[in-house]
Amino acid sequence: MIDEITFEVLRHRLDTINDDAAAVLARLSGSHLAAEARDLNTAIMAPDGRVVCCGRYVLAQVVSMHLVVRDILENYADNPGFGPGDQFVTNDPYIGTLHQPDVVVVAPIFVDGELVGWCGSTAHQADVGGPNPGGITYDARSIFDEAVPMPPVRIVEGGRLRRDLEREYLVRSRTAELNRLDLVGQVAANRSVTAEVGRLCGQYGADAVAAVMDRLLERTEALLRERLRALPDGRWRHVAYVEYRPHGGTTEAVYAVRLTMTKRGDDLELDFTGSDPQAPGTINAAYPALAGFAIGGVLIYLCGGLPWVPGGVWPVVRIRSREGTVVHARWPAGVAMSTAATCQAVRVSVNACLARMLEASRDLAHLVMASCQAAGGGGGTVHGERGDGTSYATMTLDEITGGGGATWSGDGADSSGYTTSPGASCANVEVNEAYLPLLYERRAELADTGGPGRHRGGVGTLHALTPHGDGASMTMMSFGQGLQHPLAAGVCGGEYGGQSVVAVVPDLAGLADEGERRLPMPSATVPIRTGELLVSVSQGGGGLGDPLDRDPAAVLDDVLDGLVSVRGALRDYGVVVTGDPRRPDGLRVDDPATSRCRDDRRHARIGRPPAPPAPSRQGRPLSAVLDLLPPAGDAPHREGVVACGRCGTVLCGAAGNVHEHLVVSDASPAERSPLGAVYEGADRFVLRRLYCPACAVQIDVQVCRTGDPVLAAIEVL
Amino acid sequence: MIQTETSGVKAFIGVDTGGTFTDTVVTLSDGRLGVGKALSTPGRVEQGVLDSIGQAAAALGLTLSELLSRTVILTHGTTVGLNALLTGGGARVGLLTTAGFESTLPIAKANKLHGLDELDVTMPVRWRKPDQLVARARIAGVSERVDVSGAVVRPLDEGQARAAIRRLAARGADSVAVCLLWSPVNDGHERRLAALVAEELPGVHVSCSSAIAPVVGEYERTSTAVLDAYVAPVVATYLRALQERLREDGFGGVLMILRTGGGAEPVEHTLRAPVNTLRSGPVAGLAATAALAAELGHANVVATDVGGTSFDVGLVIGGAMQRASTPMVHRHALAIPVVEVESIGTGGGSLAWLDQGLGALRVGPRSAGADPGPACYGRGGTRPTLTDASAVLGYLSRLGESMPLDVAAAREAIRAHIAEPLGIGVVAAAEGIVRIAADQMRDLIRRTTIQRGHDPSAFALVAFGGAGPQYASWYADGLGATDVIIPNLAAELSAYGAVSSDLSIGVERGLVPGPVAEAGPAVAATLAELAGGIEADLPGAVDSVTAVSGRAPVLRHTVALRFYRQQRRIELPVAVPVDAAELARLESEFRKRYEEIVGAGTAADGTPVEAVGVRVELVAPVPVPPPVTRPGGAAEPVDERAAWFAGAEHRCAVYDWRRLSAGCEITGPAFVESGQTTVVLPPGRRARMDAGGHLHLT
Repeated sequence: MIDEITFEVLRHRLDTINDDAAAVLARLSGSHLAAEARDLNTAIMAPDGRVVCCGRYVLAQVVSMHLVVRDILENYADNPGFGPGDQFVTNDPYIGTLHQPDVVVVAPIFVDGELVGWCGSTAHQADVGGPNPGGITYDARSIFDEAVPMPPVRIVEGGRLRRDLEREYLVRSRTAELNRLDLVGQVAANRSVTAEVGRLCGQYGADAVAAVMDRLLERTEALLRERLRALPDGRWRHVAYVEYRPHGGTTEAVYAVRLTMTKRGDDLELDFTGSDPQAPGTINAAYPALAGFAIGGVLIYLCGGLPWVPGGVWPVVRIRSREGTVVHARWPAGVAMSTAATCQAVRVSVNACLARMLEASRDLAHLVMASCQAAGGGGGTVHGERGDGTSYATMTLDEITGGGGATWSGDGADSSGYTTSPGASCANVEVNEAYLPLLYERRAELADTGGPGRHRGGVGTLHALTPHGDGASMTMMSFGQGLQHPLAAGVCGGEYGGQSVVAVVPDLAGLADEGERRLPMPSATVPIRTGELLVSVSQGGGGLGDPLDRDPAAVLDDVLDGLVSVRGALRDYGVVVTGDPRRPDGLRVDDPATSRCRDDRRHARIGRPPAPPAPSRQGRPLSAVLDLLPPAGDAPHREGVVACGRCGTVLCGAAGNVHEHLVVSDASPAERSPLGAVYEGADRFVLRRLYCPACAVQIDVQVCRTGDPVLAAIEVL
Repeated sequence: MIQTETSGVKAFIGVDTGGTFTDTVVTLSDGRLGVGKALSTPGRVEQGVLDSIGQAAAALGLTLSELLSRTVILTHGTTVGLNALLTGGGARVGLLTTAGFESTLPIAKANKLHGLDELDVTMPVRWRKPDQLVARARIAGVSERVDVSGAVVRPLDEGQARAAIRRLAARGADSVAVCLLWSPVNDGHERRLAALVAEELPGVHVSCSSAIAPVVGEYERTSTAVLDAYVAPVVATYLRALQERLREDGFGGVLMILRTGGGAEPVEHTLRAPVNTLRSGPVAGLAATAALAAELGHANVVATDVGGTSFDVGLVIGGAMQRASTPMVHRHALAIPVVEVESIGTGGGSLAWLDQGLGALRVGPRSAGADPGPACYGRGGTRPTLTDASAVLGYLSRLGESMPLDVAAAREAIRAHIAEPLGIGVVAAAEGIVRIAADQMRDLIRRTTIQRGHDPSAFALVAFGGAGPQYASWYADGLGATDVIIPNLAAELSAYGAVSSDLSIGVERGLVPGPVAEAGPAVAATLAELAGGIEADLPGAVDSVTAVSGRAPVLRHTVALRFYRQQRRIELPVAVPVDAAELARLESEFRKRYEEIVGAGTAADGTPVEAVGVRVELVAPVPVPPPVTRPGGAAEPVDERAAWFAGAEHRCAVYDWRRLSAGCEITGPAFVESGQTTVVLPPGRRARMDAGGHLHLT
């Protein structure tokens, strides 16, 4: 038993050693992806691979790194074996990385001949080979049309980097020199961890270090189980969609990621088995990517304030999936774009279900956070030739400007990027213009893209750029998600964040036009000619709570800040803003008109005058807006009933699907789409709003396929 | 008597205003030192400065005006701007920017994490953007556009610009920042806008990004211009009031202000861009460390400063302070030169708490603050801090010079919150708190060196600040530092850093990144322009400083180079005029230096080297009179007190720093006390005093 003081000293030291390794990697790497997007991470693992320390950069990259170590333990124990000073490199998404561009290097840590742990580092590479620069072939028929992955290979033996294997690894890349520097950095990062952990073991004894790792794993597991026990049992569901046009196809097929999350006692099950069959190429997630994003989601959306020790989270969370589905691809399905496609749907689903679970607890509801942006919008690559004939191919990173999710403590962070890659930054306009033959016409937070709610989701950002310089050419390949419908789920009755937009337009003036704008889905590659603008909008974050409950003063503040338009204030919040915007205090809320408008909206939602709110809530919360009441006397529902938390009206028995007892209103997602964008195929989706039939409070918002039955999003167990 | 002794003697004064105290160090040309310390006086900051100088004067047997009238250079580090930033007390800034890019500042490059403390980092619902210094409603787009080559893509629409300026004023702006795309390459539109603001809003302060931070990267440049506009009126008001008071009291010398990038500049220069004062506090400590390193012959030194709420670490390498690559202040990006200082929230006021879930005793990052402060301050604080642990263990006998400690309150705080829940004794708990805090400090020292590719054992370590000498014995342990130094004036080291800073006027300009071989004309032209600008506008202070030192000012030209798109830039001295041979030499020098810093084999042959900026700096050395050396002799304790080390109570000798002789050795357990600090020497530690009055721990 290690005392609380020594434990804290060693815990802090291990975290520092891991952070140092990430800094070593960033220092040695030449890539701007490392410097700006911070697309790298490091981890320290227990002897069996469980992750004990991880950096906060790109969480999904490291939380499942034990899969790489397990593969080595299972397959290589005798041949080729592993010993002190060895390191293994892999970019195999079927073994342990998210997709081929993420290259993982792991090393065993030996002290006096004993295996005391592992360390690992991962970095996103500019190019790892395959038919297209940047590593993604949109219309791949299988992984053989993508960069062919490399299973773990013992590239460092006894401390020596093997030249032959280094060449074999680098020969496939168009950016071999950058990859070499990243490899050097990753190897050096691991060396620094092995040396420092060795030194720590020398000072305190390997047993003490092992005891600290064990305690971090055990305590994290125990704390998470304790948190789960404090939450009511239940089952929650969410569905998210990915669109993809397979090779030779003429329209996008829809792939659903379906999550059923069940919590019983201190056990959490994430069941993805209902997800659609896999696509032939590129959008699928192999199991490690599913696991990385699912566990990463659990860390962010459930483990706030707990130690972030992924190895302690794994034993608590059971992931169920079916091989051959879009979330768990079967070799040789293509997976190179998984992180921008299916993985985002996985993360949003985990996010939405965990929020539903947390809502049911008075003590833990403060951890509820709506979904942040998913990929799409500015996501993708631009490539072409400069005036002098040299070629370029890169990501602009413009998509890392979407909105964050709303919380009970406030609105989502505007234009703040992904929650799962919290350290990532977008690039300066001037930096992109210095290196690429393009000129930005606009980079502006876009009003009305934040998911409306009592607390608003963060807004997304509009980018417009054009080829610039004599003879420059430009072609765009979009990740293309979230164009036909929004993805960033709201919580507690809050709306989805705004969807993505990608379009080529003649000028910006036309964008101000109101009304629908029919747009084609971007094909695999889209040329942008001189004088044309590539316009992209990153998604907004999800809102929290019924938008009609938002303080009108907060809506006015948003209007003054340009984050909500006067039109949006009326459309999304029922707030009537009047006055002359050109005058300093010219805009104000028309309170009586707002009141009338909101009453009318509630009336319209349910087709009759809404019931007044009840003075207090009964029973225990089932969600932010639903209560579970115990059975009363001779009432028909022996298991208890579900009532509206706002007006107290009993909706159904606790065993029923409460969502079937709500007023359902299906609308086209285009109603709230930024710039009025309506993409081909959007008519397959509806934005489904569910209201209390008595008081008309908005209880839930879902994106569904047209004609889908009402999802049993909450099930009492 | 004193009068005759000091006639003809010149004085140099350094004053550093901190959160609690304003420190003064006076060096006289006859080698004597005077120290002053007064409470800082928020609201009338100049009063604290005068009080502190007056104390130093008294210590030297002079009146305030006697001292000031002999003073040739007074160098000041101020936190007036920083305080305005931390308390939200700056101007109501309006921002003019290129139309279509009004969101640059609010987007803040999507930063929601950097600069948050350790606890908030694992609490996603607390992730947030930096505080907004400018409401979106006071950001106005101006129709204009310049491209990467400096060509005007869209001319400035002056009518629209005037309307935008009036709109900002109508929305309450009382200070204006201007930042347009590509202004470092072509500042024409920014300068014209500044003129329009002057016409439309006479008397309103304007901060132009191309004048303050002409570097490529619009977010950092905008943030810097806005910070400048935010603090400029407050800083200007203060500096003018200070100038006035000093003049009234007989000061006729040169007033210089410390800059965040190192060195001090004449006050007139500071008033042009007060943003350069925002992080000057840590600079002063590092400047003193650099001076000390030169005095003691150390090339590489780690400077460590334990304050009330934080622990700061900076590096001196090859005698020079290091620049931060992505500096921030209060989570706002800065595009000006900033001396690099790493910081964690572990200081004397850091709260110790039990992490019940993890089963860990934790220290920081939250702090007890100034009021009520640690329990031992006796102002009603009940939660235990690091200082309380030191009080319980007997390491501290008083607060500052003479304020008594409430040891009973400290003991009770540790007993109730730590010892009893853990089932251990109060002494064991207190020792645990000290150990954990010291280990965090040591981890930061390792991080600061190792993450930059240095081996901590190649460095000497200097410990200062109010509490550095208390904990240095622990946090320096195991680093293998070549020397561990508690400098004379450890508690006033920042003021000493001010007095020992050279006059430095620096201007820099970002270049559009391009291959160094092709950058010759741009580099040469820009260097000549910047040098011409400095020489055409030389303040009288340069002549004054030169006259005192007898050493001519030096003009230094440097070029910043980096590999294609990398963040790490290395500044190299360049010989003017720049020709092809010099550029070729620069490129190969860069590759060599890069491998020295980053590691062998990392400077890839095929990767192009870019020139990204140039800098011209005029440096006029400020003379530091050599201090009077101490006479030799043995150490005599002045007192004795009990203290706890490793669970055992020891009788410890207490020494008075001022009475220690050169060459004397002290063996722990012992304490060395000076006015504001206590050096704690645990059993086994030894300290030796050198002729300059610095203690060396072994």
